Amino acid sequence: MIPKALGDEFRSIVGDEWFLDTTEDLATYSYDGFLPEFQPDAIVIPGSTNDISRIMRIANREKINITPRGAGTNICGGSVAKKGGLVIAFHRMNRILEIDPENRCAVVQPGVVNADLQKEVARYGLMYPPDPASMFVSTIGGNVALNAGGPRGVKYGATRDYLLGLEVVLPSGEVIKTGGKTLKNASGYDLTRLFCGSEGTLGIFTQIIVRLIPLPPAKATLQAIFSDLDDAATTVSAIIGSGIVPTTLELMDRVVLDAIGDYGGAKFSKEAQAVLLIEVDGEASLVEAQGRRIERFCKERGATEVERARSVEEAERLWQARRTAFGSVARLTPNCIVEDATVPVKKVPEILKKIVELANKYRLKIAVLAHAGDGNLHPLIMTDLRDKEEMARIDKALEEIYEAAMEMGGTLSGEHGIGIAKKKFMPMQFSQSAIEIMRGIKKVFDPNNILNPGSFL
Amino acid sequence: MIPKNIAEEFFQCNKCGLCAATCPIGKELLLEKYTPRGKIQLARYYSQGKLDLSDHCREVFAKCLLCGACMTTCPSGVELNKVFISLREEITKKIGVHPTMEKGVQSLIVHHNISGEDNSERGEWRDFLKNLPDHMYQRDKAEVVYFVGCVASFFPTVQKIPQNLVRILESADLDFTILGGQEWCCGFPLIGAGIPEKAREMMDYNLEKVKELEAKMVVFSCPSCYRTWKESYDTDLELLHSTQLIEKLIRDGSIRLKEVNTTVTYHDPCDLGRNGGIYDAPRKILKSIPGLSLLELENNRAQSVCCGGGGNLEMVDSGLTETMAQKKIGEIQRTGVKTVVTSCQQCVRTIKARASRQEIDLNVWDITELVLQAMCND
Repeated sequence: MIPKALGDEFRSIVGDEWFLDTTEDLATYSYDGFLPEFQPDAIVIPGSTNDISRIMRIANREKINITPRGAGTNICGGSVAKKGGLVIAFHRMNRILEIDPENRCAVVQPGVVNADLQKEVARYGLMYPPDPASMFVSTIGGNVALNAGGPRGVKYGATRDYLLGLEVVLPSGEVIKTGGKTLKNASGYDLTRLFCGSEGTLGIFTQIIVRLIPLPPAKATLQAIFSDLDDAATTVSAIIGSGIVPTTLELMDRVVLDAIGDYGGAKFSKEAQAVLLIEVDGEASLVEAQGRRIERFCKERGATEVERARSVEEAERLWQARRTAFGSVARLTPNCIVEDATVPVKKVPEILKKIVELANKYRLKIAVLAHAGDGNLHPLIMTDLRDKEEMARIDKALEEIYEAAMEMGGTLSGEHGIGIAKKKFMPMQFSQSAIEIMRGIKKVFDPNNILNPGSFL
Repeated sequence: MIPKNIAEEFFQCNKCGLCAATCPIGKELLLEKYTPRGKIQLARYYSQGKLDLSDHCREVFAKCLLCGACMTTCPSGVELNKVFISLREEITKKIGVHPTMEKGVQSLIVHHNISGEDNSERGEWRDFLKNLPDHMYQRDKAEVVYFVGCVASFFPTVQKIPQNLVRILESADLDFTILGGQEWCCGFPLIGAGIPEKAREMMDYNLEKVKELEAKMVVFSCPSCYRTWKESYDTDLELLHSTQLIEKLIRDGSIRLKEVNTTVTYHDPCDLGRNGGIYDAPRKILKSIPGLSLLELENNRAQSVCCGGGGNLEMVDSGLTETMAQKKIGEIQRTGVKTVVTSCQQCVRTIKARASRQEIDLNVWDITELVLQAMCND
């Protein structure tokens, strides 16, 4: 509960309209895309950096927890108020402040929706590469907080690779700026990159400078069908190892293909055990040559069928299967858990085998989707959260997936973040002293531990 | 109590939030409770006994166009519209119908139409027609019944639609009739107001009347009437939207079209397109008019954005309806085309009203108007 006097203080900053504490509002800011829900005590919706600075000063003084929330689409519990307090939502701070084609960057407020930015910069012939599946809803602020990735990550990397600078409000209410519009920056600690992926534990972003790149003039889209999952998996690392840098290299297993077919999407032959969707982009002549090489690669490694799109419509048709993949699987059962353990790309065949093995061992229905080109697996675990017995088996399987990923030199999360979803597995990846260093960093920024407490640390 | 099959719908929701990408209301009102995901959460809370249905809650559920856009992006296939309508029913049962819907509901119960006028005046739009045949399009028996719908019957700005359609059907020598004062509201606004039992009375009555005429087919110019009949009327009769029938008549040569040299854009009405599955018939009609070019809107077919006239929203928050209509006009204007064609009296009304209030130079035509114009060019 926020005492009335304090509530009034917050109201006086943002206005009555933007301080919410009704049952309806508390209920609807109690979740994100992850499973557990936590009700905040109130939601505050600031309109400016100054509003946030004033809110933080009060929160720090009164030790009120603050959880920043973009669109609440993350699937690690990153934006729920695990220990109550205030949720800060950025609905009003949703403006693109500047698109600067000469410096190839844009300055945005945290509440700007990823796809809106993409659309706007495309008018200047520019591209903002990170393209998470949530891009039509998720905000740049949330993307930065979780270092969001996407299918284009194979070639272009994730949010961190496009982050040039930030304006951040610290728990003390102080406003600091990090980085800037320069591409190079060798001054001091790289606070900008530290904030990226900090999951709302270090400060509140109020302005974000992102790097843009020229829109590639051409692309080639290919689909390769394999009668053996392992052949598909080894083809992935072979392509990457060959020096070609595909924009996208997606893998779908038989379970996914069945789901797509059942849902009325593309039908694949009975022999198909895996499909790779591959895209390269760049100058037309280069793209053409790379497309041909990839085609050959796939055939040499056992692809039974390789199709190269000859038009935008054909490319769209090939993408259609991938686009409907998650939905097709998700509607098979009441719930669908999306995992994102990530391994070095050479280990993709090995981790795929492990997942299939664990699905059998724990009698689980797991479909495998993967941004295979960067080793980022997305096993989709089909379940019903009300089935406690199955949920227990899922927990065991997940633990073993992480263990396997760690042994292969991988990471707990490729692009979804840790939050509360994988908090307990942090010691698998980090030594005690590494975790202590993180905690120490947190303390420097947030000595009273008011920012997103209960998160991964 | 929320029916079990509805509760299953919101257990299916993964809370991914992708529905918010296409919800015009959520985008406008920003707060999470107005998004489809937020409303699902409120439904879930209510079913778990964690939420009382308050005025606030009624207001939230009333702010929805029932346009179905959320269902196009929901990866889990949640039937969100069913949940929203079910909640409106619960709310009406528990705390009564939304105060601003009361007048309309009263009119539906007393007069069996949405306008508040006596139902015997349902056929008044005929008075403006020249060379009106003696039967005034109302016969004792006919192959086809044209179900006109309340809005096109009573609202002068769109009475042209039935006036056009009867002319078109007449020149195609179709054996058809209207129900005139015998027609009652299809029940759609009562479903939207959360009073299904009253809607059912309307449905039973209408079905009986149509049966008496020994008709084989019912045709609708109103997409919402069409949808309601399709979804909720228990009948084997062939049900067609006017665009489907006109397209058929063009195809079999019953209607011949002359040149209309102009460029138009087309707005897919929610209940015809997304909720009725009819995208091609109107486009085929447009394509069959020589000289006419169609420039699609940025968001067309299943991606079409509601004009603001859906879900009884206008009764509850006319300002919000206007905001939606303004956005629609903006999208139309971005095509550079001066004429928008659609196949729904409610879309015509909503877009036209906003354009005229803002003195925006825009032609808003129902497709029947264009067809008739092409037919009259002889």
